[in-house]
Amino acid sequence: MSGREMICWRCQRKLEPKQTFFQYLGHTFHTDILCCPECGEVLIPEDLAKGRMAEVEQELEDK
Amino acid sequence: MGYLQDFEQKLSAECYQNEPPFCTAACPFGLDVKELVKKWKKGRFNAAYRTFQNTVGFPGIVAAACPHPCEEVCLRCGKDGAVSLHRLEQATLAHASRQNPNAYNMPSKGKRIAVIGAGISGLACTLFLSNKKYEVTVFEKSDRIGGRLWQELPPEVFLTDIERQFRHETYELRTNAEVRNLEELSDFDAIYIATGSQGEQFGLELSGSGACATGWPGVFLGGSVLGKDTIEALADGLVASRAVERYLKTGTMNHPSEQVDTKLCMDPASLEEVPSVVMAEGEIYTEKEAVFEAERCVLCSCDACMRECDLMRLFEKNPRRIYEEVYITIHPGTLSRDGTWATRLISTCSQCGLCKEVCPQRIDIGKFFLQSHQTMREKGAMPWVFHDYWLRDMYFSNGEASLCKVPPGTEGKTRYVFFPGCQMGASDPAYVERSYAWLRQMEPATGLWLHCCGAPAKWAGDRKLHEQATGAIREEWERLGKPELIFGCSTCRQMFDTHLPEISGSFLYEKMAAWGLEIDSIPADTYSVFDPCSSREYPELQQSIRQLAGAAGIVLDPLSHEGWNARCCGYGGQTQIAAPQYAREVAMDRTGEKESTYIAYCVNCRDTFAAQQKPAVHILDLVFGLRPADAQPPVLSERWENRRELKRRMLAELGEEIMAKEKKRILYIEEALKQKLSAGMILESDMEEVVDWCEETGHKLINPANGGFTGHKKIQNMTYWAEYRPEGDGFRLLNGYAHRMCLEEDLKCQEEK
Repeated sequence: MSGREMICWRCQRKLEPKQTFFQYLGHTFHTDILCCPECGEVLIPEDLAKGRMAEVEQELEDK
Repeated sequence: MGYLQDFEQKLSAECYQNEPPFCTAACPFGLDVKELVKKWKKGRFNAAYRTFQNTVGFPGIVAAACPHPCEEVCLRCGKDGAVSLHRLEQATLAHASRQNPNAYNMPSKGKRIAVIGAGISGLACTLFLSNKKYEVTVFEKSDRIGGRLWQELPPEVFLTDIERQFRHETYELRTNAEVRNLEELSDFDAIYIATGSQGEQFGLELSGSGACATGWPGVFLGGSVLGKDTIEALADGLVASRAVERYLKTGTMNHPSEQVDTKLCMDPASLEEVPSVVMAEGEIYTEKEAVFEAERCVLCSCDACMRECDLMRLFEKNPRRIYEEVYITIHPGTLSRDGTWATRLISTCSQCGLCKEVCPQRIDIGKFFLQSHQTMREKGAMPWVFHDYWLRDMYFSNGEASLCKVPPGTEGKTRYVFFPGCQMGASDPAYVERSYAWLRQMEPATGLWLHCCGAPAKWAGDRKLHEQATGAIREEWERLGKPELIFGCSTCRQMFDTHLPEISGSFLYEKMAAWGLEIDSIPADTYSVFDPCSSREYPELQQSIRQLAGAAGIVLDPLSHEGWNARCCGYGGQTQIAAPQYAREVAMDRTGEKESTYIAYCVNCRDTFAAQQKPAVHILDLVFGLRPADAQPPVLSERWENRRELKRRMLAELGEEIMAKEKKRILYIEEALKQKLSAGMILESDMEEVVDWCEETGHKLINPANGGFTGHKKIQNMTYWAEYRPEGDGFRLLNGYAHRMCLEEDLKCQEEK
């Protein structure tokens, strides 16, 4: 699932990549994530959460 | 916190890791055998020769004449025969192609030394001093050098060696020159008296103020004149050369004794048997044979903790290395690495305490880890994820799932209260129900206390929380009238004994063994008792389990680590989250030891093994005929639901009804997904909360192709995602996952609330 087919339930808008900020263990960083262009509802698919995000989490824990 | 601050000093003063091996301690030269063995193992005979020559001075003489006391103390002596060091020395001489000494062009030091006696001791002293360009004159009363070597070795052996080693050195030899009075040598800067067996001592004795030192400044004494054998005399000559040099440089006679001692303790039984190499022909090893023989050496060092502690063994870290990594973690910026370098390592210690048990000095690395953990926690520098789940579990056990009751009408008269521990009912409510029913049969006024002992707060390094947890327990116990507790879990008892010593208690299984109970027939099988690490201090508990097994007709096949050195099953501490792969490896190591069915008496051990498909029962399974050995452990959510259910049932038993909390929405979850969520430490109640949030607020995404919803919610620290769709009267969960980092938007939203 790429996520591009997903629609925001409240705004009925297609998701678009948008710079999104994250925090973990006192560090802040940003990346482009699919969001509703109107209300900002985000989508983090499982492969991202279990892939690159988990890697970054582990790096920060071991930093 | 003294242990943490003083740990480096403790390691330096007490740890035996750097104690020399037995062979080095027995060697008159203190030869660094481990260094030599490393070279032999690589077939580097020239390098080995250089090390050997540098230490003994005359390698040819030593290889031929040394009675090799090293071999008598070799660890392999007690197993399959000593490593043949004397043959390896001889092989070094046979196979090293570069044996001539190096020539150094240095100016004379301008100091004159008289050596009395041209035996091997005097020559050894002469060799090292002339090598450093001191001007040495040797006075020999006979007409030849070598002294007693003429009686012990063929002249071609020792004369060739002496000639080779002195190849680039010059000294003055005066034969037929007997010294009758030291006054004759008054124009020398120092004197070494090595007059040989029955030789002249000029009225001097060793003063004891330093190696080879006499009471006369600048005069040294050593070798066979003091009753030493040839090799000891040679070693004395080398020590004397260093004592003389110190005297010439500093004017002191206090060169330290070079006698090497060792406090090493090792057990040959732990060695793998490797028989000695038998030579195919002749009396000298071939290069290959020498390498094989050297490989028999295990490079003795005190590694009891490294062998027994899973963390040190699998991560290949010795106590010194652990200290250094933890130090730079607690004091970032002190070395080149800046940051939380060892937080995961600190959180991987299961706090089982085995390191201290196996250490001959009882150094407690676990305590060092725990205090480091506390320090990191107080600095707010420990990643929350390592302890987050366990603290949630503790809050749940001490909140929604807690219960503390005595049977109606027995208030104030309760002698015993059963404290099964939070995980016993989580694993199977029947363990607690049946045990409590039996206890009430024996002692009807027995109360029940479903609560956590506070171990998760301790292991999380949260001292304040831990104090609160123990304080709450103390208050409740006082309210109950200070009864004796009957424990179901040895970790709980350990926590009480350490932090609540005023509360006395015993174990359920001890009561069972003492009071007696009927045990139904046990399935025929081979069984081994797996003692949990926390049972180590309770031999009576360990005995009671064996007594119960014996009463059931079971003959036990013992495991390698039982009783005093019981090991962790892999569950302890925060390991499962901090280092899940390591936790699995430990569990696999434990389950792989024997094919027998393990009898555990800690539910976490039982469930850890069962999750590895290892046939394992809890002792209560045998006692009450409950779960079979192949029963799978409950998933995470069931562990919570079991505790809710247990509380409901026990309250009903004690005359109080409570209703199960009604769920807002029904969430259907397939078994495979339940397992996946459990493996990811995700509770089904977390998924329910996400779906509730999405449905109530409309914060969700829809896939128009299949009508499936996706939504997320940050619950405490974690962010959970649910993929689901409507089904019948509720919803079907299609997938669930979580991440630790959070969206800033969610954080703001959470803060606003």
